[in-house]
Amino acid sequence: MTAASISRAAFVVFAAALLAVPTVIPMLASPFWIDIAAEILIWSLLAASVNLLLGYVGLLSFGQALYFGVGMYGAALSVIHWGAGFWGGLALGILGAMLMAAIAGSVAVRLTWHYFAIITVVFSLILYFAALSAKPLTGGDDGISFGAPDVLAFGDVRLSLANQAVQYYTILLVVAACYALFGLVVRSPLGVRFMAVRENDRRAALVGINVYLTRYLAFVLAGGLAGASGALFAFFGRYASATYMFYHVSGEAVVWAIVGGTGALLGPLFGAGLLIILREVISTVWEHYLFVVGALTILVVMFAPRGLAGAWRDLLAAMTRRPPAVAAAPSPPGTDAAPSTPSANATQGD
Amino acid sequence: MTALVLALAVNGLVWGLIIALIALGLSIIFGLLDIINVAHGDFFMLGTVFVLVLTMSTGSYWLALALVPIIGFAVGLVLERVIIRPTIRQASLTIVTTFGLSMMLQEGVRATYGAQPRRMAPPIEGTIPLFGIDYDVYRIFAAAFAALCLIAFFAFLTRTKLGTWIRAVRHDPETATALGVPVVRICAITFGLGTAMALLGGAIAAPITTVEFRTGVDILPFCFMAVIIGGLGNLQGTVAAAVLLAVLEGVVTSVTDPTIARIASLGLMSVALLVRPHGLFSGATR
Amino acid sequence: MRDVSENAIALSVNGLTRRFGGLVAVDNVSFDLPARRLNAIIGPNGAGKTTLFNLITGEIHPNAGRVVVHGQDITGLKPHQIVRNRVSRTLQIKSVFSGLSVGENVRTAVMVHEGLVSPFRSATSYSAVNNRVAALVDQVGLTPHMHTLASALSYGDVALLEIALALANEPQLLLLDEPVCGMGPQETEQTVRKIREIAKTVDVVLIEHDMEVVFAIADEIIVMAQGAILARGTPAEISSSPAVQEAYLGAPEEADL
Repeated sequence: MTAASISRAAFVVFAAALLAVPTVIPMLASPFWIDIAAEILIWSLLAASVNLLLGYVGLLSFGQALYFGVGMYGAALSVIHWGAGFWGGLALGILGAMLMAAIAGSVAVRLTWHYFAIITVVFSLILYFAALSAKPLTGGDDGISFGAPDVLAFGDVRLSLANQAVQYYTILLVVAACYALFGLVVRSPLGVRFMAVRENDRRAALVGINVYLTRYLAFVLAGGLAGASGALFAFFGRYASATYMFYHVSGEAVVWAIVGGTGALLGPLFGAGLLIILREVISTVWEHYLFVVGALTILVVMFAPRGLAGAWRDLLAAMTRRPPAVAAAPSPPGTDAAPSTPSANATQGD
Repeated sequence: MTALVLALAVNGLVWGLIIALIALGLSIIFGLLDIINVAHGDFFMLGTVFVLVLTMSTGSYWLALALVPIIGFAVGLVLERVIIRPTIRQASLTIVTTFGLSMMLQEGVRATYGAQPRRMAPPIEGTIPLFGIDYDVYRIFAAAFAALCLIAFFAFLTRTKLGTWIRAVRHDPETATALGVPVVRICAITFGLGTAMALLGGAIAAPITTVEFRTGVDILPFCFMAVIIGGLGNLQGTVAAAVLLAVLEGVVTSVTDPTIARIASLGLMSVALLVRPHGLFSGATR
Repeated sequence: MRDVSENAIALSVNGLTRRFGGLVAVDNVSFDLPARRLNAIIGPNGAGKTTLFNLITGEIHPNAGRVVVHGQDITGLKPHQIVRNRVSRTLQIKSVFSGLSVGENVRTAVMVHEGLVSPFRSATSYSAVNNRVAALVDQVGLTPHMHTLASALSYGDVALLEIALALANEPQLLLLDEPVCGMGPQETEQTVRKIREIAKTVDVVLIEHDMEVVFAIADEIIVMAQGAILARGTPAEISSSPAVQEAYLGAPEEADL
């Protein structure tokens, strides 16, 4: 068996498992875990937005919570004030987040590395404080809640988020669509430009790539992913709050992305999955699970900077006895792209 | 009204000097090791907690105040060796490791010291009249002591051999290596020093703030603002910016919503980041 | 392909000046380089050679002066725009996409040259691109390494890959910054052979420290010192110029060419 076919088989099993969650979980454990699975799917999109920037264009954003928050409020406010439905609220949330990213990104992507990380966090803080003080609109840190609209109303058939399974499958559908789109983009000629910029921005410019524009496009797309995550989370919790715009949320997303493995399409899903499950398990016995998360983060950066995806690739390589460095077969989802080397560019500084 | 504004300005000055001390620690770490230490705010928090705990166990705030920076230096040395040095090659990811460290410090303190915010009795009782308001004597002492520490730090940097070495490594690590400066050890010492300064800031501030595991989160953005608005690599600028920002925030708070002041400072910080050519396409020119 | 008359000008630089603070790195430099020649720029460290290249490729903007390539004024354009004007360059410290395979490296450059930006179609599905990638990789002799990560290549092969990247935009002017710097004799020979071959169809300007290489392959040499042009001529003229010997090679008695 080749690495590619093993990966493909694993992907099929994984997809089947995701589809089976609402039927299988109640047989094994509390239905509460269906909601946890849904939550993992949602948060993984926020981590995916970090991954798009760090793993594909080589920019570490510490401010993705801003676009999450805009997506969240976009969905909540459009439902509350304009009577938008689920799909309308989702679309407005995503568009709002992309618009915000388009504004902030035009300035932010002029900077790289530390400076980019700082300015993204600064922008998110500005909007965080603004959202806190705009209490009549945003509810500040208390937040605002709303009744979830129907996902689908067709004659007598009404699908409501109040039904746990409907909610799960709706979220799965949206998240899967986001990953599919993400996968298309990173394998496209545009994705080729992304990776060129990640690998070596100077050489990228010298083969004719507009580095600024390329980073900008990635930033806006990443804003869209974070926005989708935020909008879904708003519908999931029927709630939006400024607290989700704080930089700790951004930081957690970075941790998920890195634990999962940057530069791999589904890495963030596994990173978010592992850490959220860990949170749920540990927090039942010890409330200080963040201590474990912190330690795990440091250990991953130290000993496995390629994350779970890297471990998976090494496993595949060992199974098929081919050195990973020269395995360049077309890769299935979840294992694409070379290991990211974010520090490669950093060393070129003056 | 004017009295209130002036009192708030003085308050700002007190905080500004303390924050300057902490921000300087952040700045030397950033300038020398080229890492963004997200846990720096939590070092401040550690300082407040340690001074409170030590004061209770030894019975003397002054003894605790003397011990905390020493503990801070040791903590910094250990963390540099265990966490920073092994990951320094991935310079961009140190922001992630220090974020992990930040979580560990906060949760570690919450698990051991507790989540309850506490207040500490000021070691110097009494007030003096200032602009018609009874002002805490300790606050005046805190400002003076922080200022003294700042002066001592600059004297250390310019007058001692170690300080000269730190400046040399900061300026040009390659040349410094060539000249026989033990760069690796200087980096470790610098991290220890920066950490000690944050803890010292915490120890000074503990009697005028609440002591709990979360205070670092509030202080961190402020330190970054001071470092960046003051000009990266400009230590005097950091001090000036810290004091100015704190005084301004104090004054603005007296007339309007404090978050407006925060937003304005952050906006200023963005501008400072963008106009500074250092950040722009660094690496395009060799 | 290109219709170049005997006395066409490949690269024309006029009054080019760049200051860094008080230092004048390139000081009012003017020259015309005829097409169809292999031109070399030599000079001691700090003479302003690399800065001159950076000015031509738009990575640094000049304080004054103009750069004209094949009759087209490219002054003030951004690096990626200049690449589209069919100017390519390699760097002194070899610069490729090290985390990508040789094929992916070249594909990137070819796709950008073809102006492909589709965000949806698979990047490997363009057969014309695939053919061109194969041809370019073959041209520099890296076909056996098509699927090797660039970071796993030998130093000499990285240099060849960089040349392939530079050729992807079908350049009319190719600037090579110390192409054999850091190479062993065998790698040097391999690279020199490749440069000679390329120079048959592309106007090449190279900066080089290896005098043996320069005198062997250059048709014409420009000597720079302290940001200005010190001398210009054929290799024979340059090697016999006392001014060059003194300024560039130090005191005459130390010269051992």
